[in-house]
Amino acid sequence: MTDPKVSLDKLIDSLEDRVKELNCLYEVEELLRESDLGLDEILHRIAMLIPPAFQYPEICRAKITYRSKVFSSRSIKNSLWALSSDIVLQDQVVGSICVCYDEEKPELDVGPFLTDEKRLLDSVATRISHYLMYQKLKAVFNRWEDTKEHMGSRKSSEWKVVLELLRRTDSDLFFRISRKMLNYLVWQGVDEASVLLQKFNPTLHSVEEDSKSETNVPLHKGAFGDMNTLSTQIFEVAKKHLSNSQILRRIQQWMQEDKTSFLVRAIANSNSSLTDISEAIRRYYQLNPVGMELSPSTRIGVRASLIRRFFSDQLEFINIAKNYVRVLDFNYLFERMIFPIGSHGKLGGKSAGMFLANRIIQQSDFVPGILEQISIPKTWYISSDSMIHFMHHNNLDEILEQKYKSKEDVKREYPHVIQLFKNSHFPNDMVKGLSVALDDFGDIPLVVRSSSLLEDSLGSAFSGKYKSLFVANQGSKHERLEALLDAIAEVYASTIGPDPIEYRIERGLIDFHEEMGIMIQEVIGQKAGKYFLPAFAGVAFSNNEFRWSPRIKKEDGLIRLVPGLGTRAVDRLGDDYPVLIAPGQPGLRTNVSPDEIIRYSPQKADVINLEKNTFETVELRTLFKEIGNEYPAIEKVTSVIEHGNLTSPGFNTDFQEADLAVTFEGLFKDTPFLQQMNVLIKELQNKLATPVDIEFAHDGKNFYLLQCRPQSYSRQSAPANIPASIPKARYIFSADRYVSNGIVDNIEYIVYVVPEKYSEIDSLDRLKEIGRVIGRLNKILPKKRFILMGPGRWGSRGDIKLGVNVTYSDINNTSILIEIARKKGNYVPDLSFGTHFFQDLVEANIRYLPLYPDETEVVFNSTFLNNSPSELSHLLPEFEHLNAEIRVIHVPAVTRGLTLKILMNADMNRAAAVLSPPVSGSVKHFADDNLSTVKIEDHGKWRMQMAKSLAAQLKPTRFGVKAVYVLGSTGTATAQAGSDIDLLIHFTGSPQQKEALNNWLEGWSLCLDELNYIRTGYKANGILDIHFIEGNEIGDEKDLAARFDLLNANGIIKLSLSMEN
Amino acid sequence: MADKSFNAFEMAQTQFDKIADTIGLDEGTRDLLRQPIREYHFSIPVRMDDGTTKIFRGFRSQHNDARGPAKGGIRFHPQETIDTVRALSMWMTWKTAVADLPLGGGKGGVICDPHNLSMREQEQICRGWIRQVYKNIGPNSDVPAPDVMTNGQHMIWMLDEYEVITGKKQPGLITGKPVGLGGSLGRTEATGFGVIYTVREALKHLNMKPEETTASVQGFGNVAQYAIRLYTEMGGKVVCTACWDQNDQTSYTYKKDEGFNLDELLNITDRFGGIDKTKAKELGYEVLPGEAWIEQDVDILIPAAIENQITADSVNQISSRVKIVAEGANGPTTPEADAVLKERGVFVIPDFLANAGGVTCSYFEQVQSNMNFFWTKEEVLEKLDQKMTSAFWDVTNLSTKKNLFMRDAAYVIAIDRVASACKTRGWV
Repeated sequence: MTDPKVSLDKLIDSLEDRVKELNCLYEVEELLRESDLGLDEILHRIAMLIPPAFQYPEICRAKITYRSKVFSSRSIKNSLWALSSDIVLQDQVVGSICVCYDEEKPELDVGPFLTDEKRLLDSVATRISHYLMYQKLKAVFNRWEDTKEHMGSRKSSEWKVVLELLRRTDSDLFFRISRKMLNYLVWQGVDEASVLLQKFNPTLHSVEEDSKSETNVPLHKGAFGDMNTLSTQIFEVAKKHLSNSQILRRIQQWMQEDKTSFLVRAIANSNSSLTDISEAIRRYYQLNPVGMELSPSTRIGVRASLIRRFFSDQLEFINIAKNYVRVLDFNYLFERMIFPIGSHGKLGGKSAGMFLANRIIQQSDFVPGILEQISIPKTWYISSDSMIHFMHHNNLDEILEQKYKSKEDVKREYPHVIQLFKNSHFPNDMVKGLSVALDDFGDIPLVVRSSSLLEDSLGSAFSGKYKSLFVANQGSKHERLEALLDAIAEVYASTIGPDPIEYRIERGLIDFHEEMGIMIQEVIGQKAGKYFLPAFAGVAFSNNEFRWSPRIKKEDGLIRLVPGLGTRAVDRLGDDYPVLIAPGQPGLRTNVSPDEIIRYSPQKADVINLEKNTFETVELRTLFKEIGNEYPAIEKVTSVIEHGNLTSPGFNTDFQEADLAVTFEGLFKDTPFLQQMNVLIKELQNKLATPVDIEFAHDGKNFYLLQCRPQSYSRQSAPANIPASIPKARYIFSADRYVSNGIVDNIEYIVYVVPEKYSEIDSLDRLKEIGRVIGRLNKILPKKRFILMGPGRWGSRGDIKLGVNVTYSDINNTSILIEIARKKGNYVPDLSFGTHFFQDLVEANIRYLPLYPDETEVVFNSTFLNNSPSELSHLLPEFEHLNAEIRVIHVPAVTRGLTLKILMNADMNRAAAVLSPPVSGSVKHFADDNLSTVKIEDHGKWRMQMAKSLAAQLKPTRFGVKAVYVLGSTGTATAQAGSDIDLLIHFTGSPQQKEALNNWLEGWSLCLDELNYIRTGYKANGILDIHFIEGNEIGDEKDLAARFDLLNANGIIKLSLSMEN
Repeated sequence: MADKSFNAFEMAQTQFDKIADTIGLDEGTRDLLRQPIREYHFSIPVRMDDGTTKIFRGFRSQHNDARGPAKGGIRFHPQETIDTVRALSMWMTWKTAVADLPLGGGKGGVICDPHNLSMREQEQICRGWIRQVYKNIGPNSDVPAPDVMTNGQHMIWMLDEYEVITGKKQPGLITGKPVGLGGSLGRTEATGFGVIYTVREALKHLNMKPEETTASVQGFGNVAQYAIRLYTEMGGKVVCTACWDQNDQTSYTYKKDEGFNLDELLNITDRFGGIDKTKAKELGYEVLPGEAWIEQDVDILIPAAIENQITADSVNQISSRVKIVAEGANGPTTPEADAVLKERGVFVIPDFLANAGGVTCSYFEQVQSNMNFFWTKEEVLEKLDQKMTSAFWDVTNLSTKKNLFMRDAAYVIAIDRVASACKTRGWV
């Protein structure tokens, strides 16, 4: 055994065997492709091909049996040493291939044969089966085509021809269709059909109907005759009750369905692995001659199942995606997918978003042509269970429990976890898959992105919580593969990083079994010098939460645009500014004067350094000096600074010499970019029925969509619910104009520059002093725990009367900047909207709110603001003389421990500042006052509870009600804050009772609506959606589900009614 | 309410009255100079991008044009008032007079916030402004320029509209135009160099040799950088500058006793005059708190950043060695500090003399545009030197002769020049 020579010999032997086998398979394949040979000839030749592939060709004989015919390599004798594989056609054994040895040979894996030889035989048999199936279908199809041609002349009995044809060519199908017709007739209530139904032989039934049966019992001969008569009878009945064209249509439909049934079965079966599904789809497209498409309803069903298998169980997602995604798309998807054998994994949220968005764009005709040039980067996918496979392979399973450790432990251990992951090995099949992927990509830089099953699903946006890593992908194939594996391991490790874990705990998602899909995408860009980078990239939102002008509406959207990789656009930057623009209002810019434009232009870019094989951040000034003339589409990206003015680059501009600022002026002015973006985000928002955020990049020639998901909000920027129940006494102020979304809480200090007093100051020095006091307060008050409220325009530069003269550093620690516009005579002055330091505010996440206290609908608690004791003389004794102008109110001190909380809701265009107990950790006050803390399933739960209590009080005899059911989202826990409660009432009473019932229900509806408003802030004028069903012949939930077109009986739940009469 | 609150125009008038008292100006001239000689109020209808029409209010105030065409900027400001425009036009009259330019003073504006306007809408406002007032301005009567929230682009739109209406090319109508389209070279250098021309003359006046002096500068923007360059070329040694640090949101003072190497420092400076703190340390610069620039043991202080820097408090930290304060910024010294400096005998070159390089260059642009012949940068700077030097000596000689503090002398000379022009013309 240990003798190296022997084992080497063995190895060579087995290699030789493999070559023989492959040769055989190859030649079989060649034969089957030569379509001009007859079937007999082909089978005969295959029989000749097999023996040479076996270990002892000289004594080996092969025999193929098909129906009644036999083809063999030599004359056949019975032999003891034989191997055989069945040829199966539509689940029936129609023949076999048999190989035998004439003499005894040493015992091996299967008798004297090798396992590989058995496998070879199976492969050949399967290939022949496929071939036969294909030939058969082709024949049927050709005949069908011929028949169709003669339709015009023989209209009335056309279906008979078809049927006859079927009976002769494919009896199984013929019987199945007969059976379906019978079912159909019974379904239609034809009594004669019910009688015929009884005649069906139960054994036949099991063979024909139970297609999952693996028994392959051949049909009883006797049954054929019966079936033939039966079929004839069935169609006799059909002829009486249906028109010719109806019958024809049915037959046509069933024939088609039958041919694709394997696909439907494979996909609908929750046990089929990705391999099975991939196989089924491939087969479907291989077989797919014209005219074999799925029927529209089946098609949608198949799509829905595929979407569920690959992407998401979320009904909302499936509901939308099924209209855009084609079965064919999944076939393409498989070409670039890596998954373990027997995988049941998914691809994750990010992949799903991309996949769907791409389909929507492809089909969009919103503005013809405008989205045509938008494509998506080449992407490979790794299924989510590959991660488990990987961890299992390395015995890392227990790491999954990491999430239950304390926050500190998670944080402390995380660096070790990363190292552990990075030093682990990948399973072979994954390595192979990735190696193929690398060959497909070439040496273009790649980005490895997480695509978690939790990520980006509605309601919980994990934006940026998991890692995305860039790999330069340079060097030898081996080095590139190592780097890629390393990156994937790191992304895997990030699932148990402290940030995502904390976030999941916050959202109540910690027990969800986390699996993460991976997307490997080519980095969009071009090589420029030693760098690789896109011309520009960015993110876009369909809702603009940062309006810098009252003329910009929320729907105008927002783009954050940067030169180079988009990483700098995704996150807020402390030391740099992306270019902001609202695609719906391209004329209104954040920065207007050349000074502002230059000051707030991007100074750095993220790029991939191909020489150092790294991702790095470079100064644009240096970058342009080095590769200015090679930078992709630089004339669209930059403007030239000349003597303090900005001009467009010209033909003569030397981009390495010129003084450049990144303005994207050329892009905005000379290209349809903004219009494209505007259409793109609007179209995606419309089709996905939710505001979206997208990532994109442009390589200088083409525009790529990199990501698409529902627009996400952090807790701080989600629309706040403003409970109606807050007593007016607790209001400090409210606002109803230009409100953005978010919550600012735990405010301890209010710095209030009294507008009336400020406008009375008559000395310039004193006005300037106010600004200095604000600057001082900004340094000494607790960071982000105070708010600044002042008249008019903060940071007014020219005319100090119009607002306190401050620079950004005087206000940079406030949590919110409030401008108060008090009426002067009959006009209300314009406010600045923070324009003087707008971009600083955005990047530092300082909120802005304008107040118009003189409007009728708003609250402005002057008493509190003017009469609460001020701390100014305490804090800054040297400015005591400004006590009347500046008031610093320590909120907890004057309210016995309360703090100020500002709730802002852009959807309702309302904001309220209310006194409330301080928020500590996860303890929430105002019960449910924060939409983002209400878990999605809670809406459903609440609705279900309410429906139950309604039913419990509904007296059946008083109102003539037999039963009450809950329908749709109410019961399925996918309800949203503003969803209706759908009730189905089985009503059997009189018109008077119905009227009384309606009144009773209306009372409930309004009342529940009010409750829901208090819970969530949504108001709809009644929340119940009542459907009536009358009459006595109502069956169970299943029956109702069918009537109401519901997916299944689970979408409908019966409630128990009041026991009283 | 309005009479109690701060009013820029009233402040300008009070300042004028004080000087008028000093020089004993007669009632008629006072009356004339306390108010703009002409002002225009008009409406500018603009068709907005969304199809609606909006009316914008526009102004032009010509305070005085006895010495030549009125000169002054056009402001786009959301809460512009006529009083602000009046006050600013008066200041322009004194500013051109102290530099002895053959110009008067004017100012204009439109009530609007460019942040709420698209470029097309702004263009319509510019053209509309000209349509309303073209009869009353011109290369020989009133020459506008860019100001708050307006720039070269606005000037070109205005010029174009004017030329379309009048049917002539008249680049001298307006200044602040881009170079190559009627703009003047040397604009970037003008203010910073101008400061040092006056410093150079002040050193002569005080019998000091530049190469034996040191200076501390506040600011490292455009003005400060060019001031440092020229002063160093003259042989002086800049040992200190203070500038804003965007990352830390505070300012730092950078110090090097053996004197700055400007180019070395510019290499580690961003476009906005922010020096890279870490790299500066590597280059051997000492990093001190932002206020430290003022307490340095130097001969010259050049505050060239923002207003209100030399205050009642900080003035006492100024070293006894300091002989000259050259105000490169606008209003860097508060009145209390001013009194201390006066008492200590520090030679102050007041802001509107020290930084008159800007308006002088604007005048040069006008001159070049009118003759449609443009000078080289060297020519511009040479002429600037002459202008500044003579303006400096006019003020200094008056200060010596009448024993006036430099700031007062500058005002006196400006108002006196305007007053006598009015008299000579027989207006009063």
